Amino acid sequence: MAKDLSSKISRDLIEHIKEISGQNANLCMQCGTCSASCTGREIMDFSPRMVMRMIQLGNSKALNLKSMWVCSTCLICTARCPRGIDIARLMEALRVINLRQGREVLVAEKIPLELLTEVPQMALTSGFRKLSA
Amino acid sequence: MRIPYFPGCTLHSKAKGLDDSTRGSLAALGIELTELPQWTCCGTVFPLAQDNYIGMVAAARILANAAKEEGGKLVTVCSFCYHVLKRVNYVIKNNLEARKKLNDYLEENYTGEIEPVHPLEICKENVGLDAIREKATKNLKGLKVACYYGCMLVRPASEMNFDDPENPTIMEELVSAIGAEVVEYSYKTTCCGSYQILYDNDLVMQKVEEILNSATAKGAEAIITSCPLCQFNLDWSQEKILQKNAGFQKIPVLYFTQLLGLALELPQESLGLDKHYVDPRPLLVGA
Amino acid sequence: MAEEREMVNIYIMGKHYKVPYGLTIMKAMEYAGYRFIRGCGCRGGFCGACGTVYRKPGDFRLKVGLACQTMVEDNMYLTQIPFYPANKATYNLEELTPTLATLLRYYPETTRCLGCNQCTRICPQELKVMDYIAAAQRGDIEKVAHLSFDCIMCGLCASRCPAEIVQYNVAILARRLYGRHIAPPAQHLAKRVEEIKAGKFDEELDRLMKMDKEELQKLYNARDIEP
Repeated sequence: MAKDLSSKISRDLIEHIKEISGQNANLCMQCGTCSASCTGREIMDFSPRMVMRMIQLGNSKALNLKSMWVCSTCLICTARCPRGIDIARLMEALRVINLRQGREVLVAEKIPLELLTEVPQMALTSGFRKLSA
Repeated sequence: MRIPYFPGCTLHSKAKGLDDSTRGSLAALGIELTELPQWTCCGTVFPLAQDNYIGMVAAARILANAAKEEGGKLVTVCSFCYHVLKRVNYVIKNNLEARKKLNDYLEENYTGEIEPVHPLEICKENVGLDAIREKATKNLKGLKVACYYGCMLVRPASEMNFDDPENPTIMEELVSAIGAEVVEYSYKTTCCGSYQILYDNDLVMQKVEEILNSATAKGAEAIITSCPLCQFNLDWSQEKILQKNAGFQKIPVLYFTQLLGLALELPQESLGLDKHYVDPRPLLVGA
Repeated sequence: MAEEREMVNIYIMGKHYKVPYGLTIMKAMEYAGYRFIRGCGCRGGFCGACGTVYRKPGDFRLKVGLACQTMVEDNMYLTQIPFYPANKATYNLEELTPTLATLLRYYPETTRCLGCNQCTRICPQELKVMDYIAAAQRGDIEKVAHLSFDCIMCGLCASRCPAEIVQYNVAILARRLYGRHIAPPAQHLAKRVEEIKAGKFDEELDRLMKMDKEELQKLYNARDIEP
């Protein structure tokens, strides 16, 4: 961790995430309210609190987690954060950095036909906007 | 009273029942919704990245077009549309840089003067619950209804300014006014998993089971919502949940406007009640 | 000197040429020595093969036109986009239903539309492309069919789409669905087919068949022509 803290890459990462999200992850005091409330917490590999800690430390592994893709941007973390951090925007920044490099998880061709033809189209629009490059 | 109306894509197809019952119910309450002459998809989700302006362009265009109509308001009932239109409008109103960028791109001069409103707000503030109580002649007494808000209607409270984000009651007030019985339960502002239905199905199944079990444990016979994606997730998933868990109890999931339309004695066939996966008609015929 | 004034400067793929004023882009390119093997079809503005993009100095906007219809202007920088790779679904129209689900099954990316309006901006036919994609997103097949009726499939819309939608292929699917499954069959056509089958025109056809070339030419020149 100490190595990560001092490396230029991690400082750049923190700055980049800050710029895209407009949020300061250093305000986080690790209370875990976000994790306790999170919609996707049981499916995530790292809870929102842990993701926040990774961003604070400039740990670039934060960009390779399942958590950001499982986030349903329901904003309950944002609504409940006692430090007023818009956590959903930080999750979005992690996604957006990936998406802008072409890394996506929702691939149109791989959506099962049963779902593709049954879901309300707003599911496709929102899913593509959040999860496809 | 006439107000410009933005139905949203899903309401023209999959959620036609929501569109029809919204127009029908509000018409019965003296409010005529006039659909915008030309509109596109609103974008469905609000872009949370600060540098994503293109994600706001469609909603900004819709709002700028609504400003050319009379009334100063824009009604939309789908929770996603309402969320996006309201937040993009908030950005245009309060963020001068974003306002300039969007207006330059669209070649418009829109400053955020439109007020996006939800039919729940119209029912409470424009029509009034007493007037609704009077007009709701169908007897729904004893029908136990759980109100489900989901995420997009109430959060973030600072921008949506809709109702208490942790314990909204506007839908419950309407349910009481039309004579049905409100069921209190713990999950009314929990997210149903939303678009994760396409990426992480398990997440949605898990959330839906939690939400529905919580409501049925409190005796709910029906759930109402204003979001076509919540409606789909809560409704469509039930058969799958039942396959895994034989003890699961199915429950019809309706749009609040369908229940309102029923209470106002609109013709049942105009409400789209036949389009749900869990058929609500056996329950409502007796109501 | 007089001749000099009638020439304009154009830049084809960056290379400078002087061509006579008043030519279409297509003729100007031929004047400059290009020979069309692809990217040229009817020369009448209908086939959509000669989509061209150009810019003029001092204007950041990309402009478009069909090479066979657009006149050259001084200092035009241009290139042709005779072909643009497109996602194209194959289907059996008879087996399809005219529903939103069908559109989404073959072109789910339609829902990726960002509403940027670049497709409408670029359409040389001046179609409301974004609006018909909006109609497709809400499953209004009839509206897509009507709004896209004059599409010539030049592909310029798809070349500009940030959501990578191939608008004209979505539109032709909608028009096919509309024509096959929604629009009522044309009564006048059915009636005329009946009349032909019943031999109403046999006599006239026989008469035509027996005419010599000169008589036919005379008749052809004297025919009713739509104004």
